[in-house]
Amino acid sequence: MANYVGQNIPRKDGWDKVTGAGLYTHDISMPGMLYAKVLRSPYAHAVIKSIDMSKAEALPGVKAVVCYKNTPQRLYNASATMVTTNPGEEPVRDQVTFGQELRYIGDEVAAVAATTIKIAEEAIKLIEVEYEELPAVYDPLEALKEDAPEVQPARVMKNVCGTPVEFGMGDVEKGWEEAEIIAETTVKLPRVKQAQLETHGAVASYKGDGNLTVISTTQTPHPTKMILAYALDIPESKVHVSNPPYVGGGFGVRIGLSGKAEIIAAILSMHTKKPVKYEYTRKEDFIASDTRHGGYITAKMGAKKDGTFVVLDTYAVLNTGAYATFGVELLGVTGACGTAGTYRIPNLHYKGLPVYTHQQTAGAFRGFGTPQATFAIETLVDDIAKQLNMDPIELRLKNITQPGDNWWFPFPVGSTGLGECLKKAAKSIGWKEKHGKKQEGHIRRGVGIACGTHVSNAAPFCVDYDTVYLRIEQDGTLVVASGIPEIGPGSTTGLLQIACDTIGTSLDTAVMKYGDTDSAPFDIGSHASRTLYAVGSLICDSGKELKDQILSWAADYLEVKKEELTMEDSIICGGGKEITLKALAYEAHLRGKQFVTSGCKVPPNSPPWHAHAAEVEVDMETGMVRVLKVAAVHDIGKAINPILVEGQIEGGVAQGIGWAVREEMTYQEGKGFYNTGFHSYMLPTADEMPEIDTILVESGDPSGPFGAKGIGECGVIPTAPAIVAAVEDAVGIRFHEIPLTPGRVLKGIKEAGNKI
Amino acid sequence: MKELLKTRINGEYIEMEVDPSLRLVDFLREELYLTGTKIGCKKGECGACTVILNGNAVTSCILPVMRAMDAEIWTIEGLANGAEKLHPIQEEFINHGAVQCGFCTPGMIMSAKALLDANPNPTHAQIKEALGGNICRCTGYKKIEESVESAAERKRKGEF
Repeated sequence: MANYVGQNIPRKDGWDKVTGAGLYTHDISMPGMLYAKVLRSPYAHAVIKSIDMSKAEALPGVKAVVCYKNTPQRLYNASATMVTTNPGEEPVRDQVTFGQELRYIGDEVAAVAATTIKIAEEAIKLIEVEYEELPAVYDPLEALKEDAPEVQPARVMKNVCGTPVEFGMGDVEKGWEEAEIIAETTVKLPRVKQAQLETHGAVASYKGDGNLTVISTTQTPHPTKMILAYALDIPESKVHVSNPPYVGGGFGVRIGLSGKAEIIAAILSMHTKKPVKYEYTRKEDFIASDTRHGGYITAKMGAKKDGTFVVLDTYAVLNTGAYATFGVELLGVTGACGTAGTYRIPNLHYKGLPVYTHQQTAGAFRGFGTPQATFAIETLVDDIAKQLNMDPIELRLKNITQPGDNWWFPFPVGSTGLGECLKKAAKSIGWKEKHGKKQEGHIRRGVGIACGTHVSNAAPFCVDYDTVYLRIEQDGTLVVASGIPEIGPGSTTGLLQIACDTIGTSLDTAVMKYGDTDSAPFDIGSHASRTLYAVGSLICDSGKELKDQILSWAADYLEVKKEELTMEDSIICGGGKEITLKALAYEAHLRGKQFVTSGCKVPPNSPPWHAHAAEVEVDMETGMVRVLKVAAVHDIGKAINPILVEGQIEGGVAQGIGWAVREEMTYQEGKGFYNTGFHSYMLPTADEMPEIDTILVESGDPSGPFGAKGIGECGVIPTAPAIVAAVEDAVGIRFHEIPLTPGRVLKGIKEAGNKI
Repeated sequence: MKELLKTRINGEYIEMEVDPSLRLVDFLREELYLTGTKIGCKKGECGACTVILNGNAVTSCILPVMRAMDAEIWTIEGLANGAEKLHPIQEEFINHGAVQCGFCTPGMIMSAKALLDANPNPTHAQIKEALGGNICRCTGYKKIEESVESAAERKRKGEF
């Protein structure tokens, strides 16, 4: 009985956020708190020959100065990979907090804790370091060469993180024989930055009794707790990690540690036995925390003359930076969700290399490799459409995966509305009227379309599970406790909608406890578009158990048959009797009973689907690409809270537009990344955003709670290829490199010469 | 060497000795404990620190605290001003789904307030321009703009 699911319930944390009363890590203060600053490497590759911290230590107000000499040197992986790698495999552990060998401009050299930020900043300047500079490599293709400087010791292949990812299906050689049309491309993709509004931060407090408390911006309190316990060799039972409770965005940048904020603050607290606050400056956040993977993807696709896809071979070489974090998993997802899901292709091969370079790390950013490969594959699909003189939408409709198809993934296609997504995107953008128009003059318009898929969590590719507690308070109100954070999507409201409809309780008084390793047992945390789907699925199971427990006790108390009882809106009735849950819970309390249940579950999985259509206007004299409109159509299975779902999509579209036409991290040898602040990083602002038409398609996934699928990452996946396709429609040039900055566009126009 | 600051914050007159090298945002957050105003860049580029000073939306992270001298300043805390009912702008932000992570929200709302105080009938383009100095990475801005349009309607009805 759906009272709340499907409704635009105002989010429960809204009041806190619109009044400024809600607390974030940056707002936290503790008695005796010290402030941390970090000294970072000026060299891309160097070894510390000598380091003298004495002058810094002597500065009044300085309470601790640390470097590799006096901090733990146990290798770890700062991302949740540390704790989510499947049994039988080992996560790549290749970083320490402060090392003697430095591997990128910005790598941590030393840190100071002082009574004020000003003193900490002064102290940093007093640390004297002698570096021996070493040769460095910056491009992943260069790093693969035999004579390239070594970034990290090789496991299997020079400068490849972990093991190359490779998988396939069918017989690719046979596929090439059958193919009558072939399309090939190599795309070059930039690093881009999550640029979430709250920079990384942590307040850590270590006491002499060995207990460590950390308040931070992490998206994953429990994995972060495990990483800290491992790296600092503290029992997990003595580590407490929480969000305060709000986190100012994430988009994947802090799945695991927030950069190194938690561990640096913790180490300084261990040295001083005082709380230590470490806030990344915006510059540090830009240059010393995970970016999206950029690099090169080469793909080749073969089809029959009637448009049937028969073979696809993809090779990805992505720049994972100096340390592993998510490098291995990401190259896996690049191949799986980016090449193996959207279309029915019987013969498939993928190989992906996460390549080390002497640059800041690349890690998780919304989409996690899927956007990168989708960009390459959608380029091929449009190419084949052009060769066959076939409408790009018709070609896609012919080949998109249907339930029951033989596909690569180990779980079934629960449902698909992708065909509907494509048609609705086309209609919204005005495809028939606008596509393929011959134009003259230097201002030209065009439309393009792209589609794709992703997942609803990381199972079974990674360790992925949730646990929850559900309890009824003594006054009948519902509490749901989960280790998830609230980083913005509003899942802490959506999950309560699911809980209340499952159990039959009122939503007004229902509360979620979250973001705290003390208040709930293990949860993987917010990533992989999973929270609403996976935690919701578990809450459906545990909610039914709780309801059963309540009705069983009520049946005894009311002396009525349990089968006759129902509960809705916190009122139980049946068999001619009625009682509020409020009254029942108190009667139970007086008789030594609380209604409580817990659950632990590995979720099923299912693909969400999406199609974006874009309209652009290109000024061929200035090279400016203006995105006029994006129609974003998503099959989300079931919209638990439509406004929140739209919010996820629209935010993703904005990031996709940025990736396509504006955002790019530019490396300057000897100086590092040029993008040190918002002035030098062109993310979209309100005045530049085009019209977004967000359309939801509900195919009803049998595996998801109330039919839902995952959504969090999907908004950013098909946007850029749709925009690039629209530019091709406008000016006749297909770009294989983004962003489409005026310089790139003009260069392309010049090279195309008379052909356009 | 401290100076005596005299200012009015959220309708309350305040006299306090302050270090004049302090930024206005640090004075608000750390001396007055008004942590609703956020810091996103400390360079005046993201708008998270937006407050209203003498009727203008300003980035408080790049203003020296003495700019508050004899000025009238409103922060996000002053909008509902402790009352149990939210300000219409705040209500519309929630109703339209304009709030996600919430970090840009106080600054966004203050920019919207400054706009509507000066112009209760802004065009869509004027709303976009007024919010152009407030970065949001979560929403894509669409629902924020829609909530400001609804708030404008309520202003024109005389609700604030």
